[in-house]
Amino acid sequence: MSNNKEVLLSVRGVDISFDKGGKKPFRAVKNANFDIYRGETFSLVGESGSGKTTIGRAIMRINELSKGEIYFKGKKISGKISKEDDREVIRSIQMIFQDPAASLNERANIEYCVSEGLYNFHLYKDEKDRIAKVDKALEDVGLLPEHKSRYPHEFSGGQRQRVGIARAMIMEPELIVADEPISALDVSIRAQVLNLMNKLKEEKGLTYLFIAHDLSVVRFISDRIAVIHLGRIVEIAETEELFKHPLHPYTISLLSAVPMPDPQIEKPKKHVVYDESKRDHSGEKPILQEIRPGHLVFANDREMKEYEAKLQEMEKLEASDK
Amino acid sequence: MSEKNDLFTLAEFDERESEHIAAPRYSYWKSVWRTFVSNKFVVAVCIFMIIVVLFAMIQPMFSHYDPMYAPNINDPSSKFLGPSSEHLFGTDNIGRDLFDAVWAGARNSLIIGFGCTLINMILGIIVGAIWGFSKKVDVWMIEVYNVVSNVPFLLLAMILSYVLGSGFKSLIFIMCVTNWIYVAYFIRTQVMIIRDREYNLASKCLGTSTWTIITKNILPYLISVIMTYISREIPSNISYEVFLSYLGLGLGQQNASLGRMISAYTSYMTGYPHLFWIPVSLLAIISVSLYLVGQALADASDPRTHR
Amino acid sequence: MAEKKIILSAKDIEVKFRVRDNYLNAIRGVSLDLYDGETFAIVGESGSGKSVFTKTFTGMLESNGQVTNGSVMYNGKDLTKLTTDKDWEGIRGAKIATIFQDPMTSLNPIRTIGSQITEVIVKHQKVSGEEAKKQAIDIMNRVGIIDAAKRFDEYPFQYSGGMRQRIVIAIALSCHPEILICDEPTTALDVTIQAQIIDLIKELQKEFKFTTVYITHDLGVVANVADRVGVMYGGQIVEIGNVEEIFYEPAHPYTWALLSSLPQLGVKGQDLSYIAGTPPSLYNVIKGDAFAPRNKYALKIDFEQEPPFFKITDTHYAKTWLLDPRAPKIEKPEAIRNLHEKIAAMTSKGGAYYVEQ
Repeated sequence: MSNNKEVLLSVRGVDISFDKGGKKPFRAVKNANFDIYRGETFSLVGESGSGKTTIGRAIMRINELSKGEIYFKGKKISGKISKEDDREVIRSIQMIFQDPAASLNERANIEYCVSEGLYNFHLYKDEKDRIAKVDKALEDVGLLPEHKSRYPHEFSGGQRQRVGIARAMIMEPELIVADEPISALDVSIRAQVLNLMNKLKEEKGLTYLFIAHDLSVVRFISDRIAVIHLGRIVEIAETEELFKHPLHPYTISLLSAVPMPDPQIEKPKKHVVYDESKRDHSGEKPILQEIRPGHLVFANDREMKEYEAKLQEMEKLEASDK
Repeated sequence: MSEKNDLFTLAEFDERESEHIAAPRYSYWKSVWRTFVSNKFVVAVCIFMIIVVLFAMIQPMFSHYDPMYAPNINDPSSKFLGPSSEHLFGTDNIGRDLFDAVWAGARNSLIIGFGCTLINMILGIIVGAIWGFSKKVDVWMIEVYNVVSNVPFLLLAMILSYVLGSGFKSLIFIMCVTNWIYVAYFIRTQVMIIRDREYNLASKCLGTSTWTIITKNILPYLISVIMTYISREIPSNISYEVFLSYLGLGLGQQNASLGRMISAYTSYMTGYPHLFWIPVSLLAIISVSLYLVGQALADASDPRTHR
Repeated sequence: MAEKKIILSAKDIEVKFRVRDNYLNAIRGVSLDLYDGETFAIVGESGSGKSVFTKTFTGMLESNGQVTNGSVMYNGKDLTKLTTDKDWEGIRGAKIATIFQDPMTSLNPIRTIGSQITEVIVKHQKVSGEEAKKQAIDIMNRVGIIDAAKRFDEYPFQYSGGMRQRIVIAIALSCHPEILICDEPTTALDVTIQAQIIDLIKELQKEFKFTTVYITHDLGVVANVADRVGVMYGGQIVEIGNVEEIFYEPAHPYTWALLSSLPQLGVKGQDLSYIAGTPPSLYNVIKGDAFAPRNKYALKIDFEQEPPFFKITDTHYAKTWLLDPRAPKIEKPEAIRNLHEKIAAMTSKGGAYYVEQ
């Protein structure tokens, strides 16, 4: 299905390293490769330190790459690019941040916060038009026009995050990088923000790169999922495929860690612990390779064979169930 | 249905209703003002300070006091007079009126204190903001800072006052030529603390220019620390003027100066103590009240004190 | 349950915080009996008072807070009457220990892990330094620190977040507490680490036989750890019951809303249900049911009069007018009906959350 779709963003062989004061540079992202198609929600799932946020920030041109390229609509956006391209990229790719308390300017009112991008690109005809746009953006995220003159600290966490969404949406971007947009929120208001993001995606034909650490959230929102562990993408698949046929042991460990709201099932459950150091490293070097169309897993030939056998068994069982 | 049972029907539910914010509107400057005036003692000090400052500015315009003009120098009966209705603070060793003299001195001290603070702060904030924001500028500015901060200020003041001569303008120049760099260094450190906060990153992602980030995102956060700095800077500049003039490096004979006065009257401390204590007290009153008011303003401009 | 021994009993607790010239009514009349050896989970949003309530068990309220009513009986003593650190000696940290969300609040960054554990052991058990070190390494091993003897002399910054939390647990357990209060111990951790820490606490509980109070905002975690659950909202417990009762037969509309907003229950292509609006401001006097303004099922009386606790079973109580015989019959939302069947389908072979064991 992915062949006839337009690739919006392409990450090719990306390495990102950070200098750690003279010592060997720390490789936060190792040889990342993936495409994001127009109109989909692509999720990047991993734990803290996995490099998922680093990739998101590299797309936003905040982090520099040490190797590889990033293309947006076929145009290279990593490294040195022209001023016009830079402005075009800034306008077309917007970010939603994790902590709504930290990512809003506390000394500016909501009107300024939401208008900031409009001012920078002068995306309005006159003052009246700007106010109208701000009102519309606030309404889109379920806030009220009267909130314009309020300051961020007067809002609840969920409301603040919706201000963050409004300020990104007002730019009419094509791609939104959402960096753990709900992990700082209470479970009870996460749902509202997720619904809102889905609704806006439908209405505006957006594409999301959704960064998260929790598979349960990701299943609800995404079309495709990439699982990342210690800077390395270990599995990519369509959502249903990944949940049905998880192959990489780290994906399975993430899956088993999702707490289910049912005491009879949750209490006896055993968590699968994944320990990189205890894996069998024999055989040649593993690479990210396709095992089914659209389903990629990080493995060497020996592991590939094991995964293939496992996958066939699962498929056989499903066929017999039908 | 009876009224009692009516209570047990579903109420109307409006989702948007719960989005309203009940708290009264927040305005930064209004809250600063409210917090400031809520401290009655400081308000009293502030009013007193304003009166003293205004008086120091206006009184010399009428007295036309000139330290070089001493018509009673040869009249022993008008020397060393104690306070009286004619000479409120008495007269000095050459028969000059002390009341006129201290106010003229206070006026000069205040002008120099405020003027130097203004110049240092403006220069310091502009340079410091750029210095703190740009890693490239930081590399060589820190070297400049190291060199400048290792030159002893008194030595520099001595050399400059020989070269430029004593006087109003040269004193302001001496007190500003290097001191702004300390303000800049302070601002640089403050900017660096908040430069990499996420909301600045967010602004960058929205395409906001560095200049707008500095003026809209960073400086508003620094209002409180800048106020604290100013509240220490003005009294310390006033004391500096006095100190330099006391050493003879500041204002010359032709300018009224609290520093020169204190220096000249030290020798009469035992015989005519009012000559020494009156200028010293006025200096203390001005410095302390400026400091108190400045600190209160600094506190009030910190949003954590707002409610 | 009746024959179970009550280890701690809080009655009609009210807590107020003085904030400048105003009073914040953080806890508005909460009673709770804690049974020996059980795990009691307190669930609620931030600001519901779940943390503040348990701080009255250890006298750790911030200095502007005060218990203005009620009592906490433990071992024949009313804990609300204790004031000085000396009064608390032998109880706080010894009999009743707390693990916080951020392990660094309990660890000293400039001292070695080992010295921080031995210090507690020496203080509470009055043993020699050598013996304390042996015990410390034992307990580090017990909480899953690999190479404990080697890592004994390392500093907190050399440990990962999950490892630090293990150390905090080790310190808490080193004085053999009777009650362990876990205040969102896994909220700041990754999901896989969260699962490991929860497993660890459960195992240790079996071994050391302490009573656990588990504070969280995540019902998924509650299902795993709790024997009984109290749901808190606006400074009150609004529903209390056995864990099965809370998950399979919830009665309070707030519990319904909390449960149905879990993304695990979301169906792709449909909206998740959620709780609109914001929690009540506890500076104001709350009239009626605090949850009413956000409650889809609010009755008119909810805005007028505070509901009492209605008894559902001997162990299950809920504070909602919906249980009044005069109230209309309202069924819980679709998303959480037949919860067990739904989740069983999700986690069995072919379901989205099926994991080969």
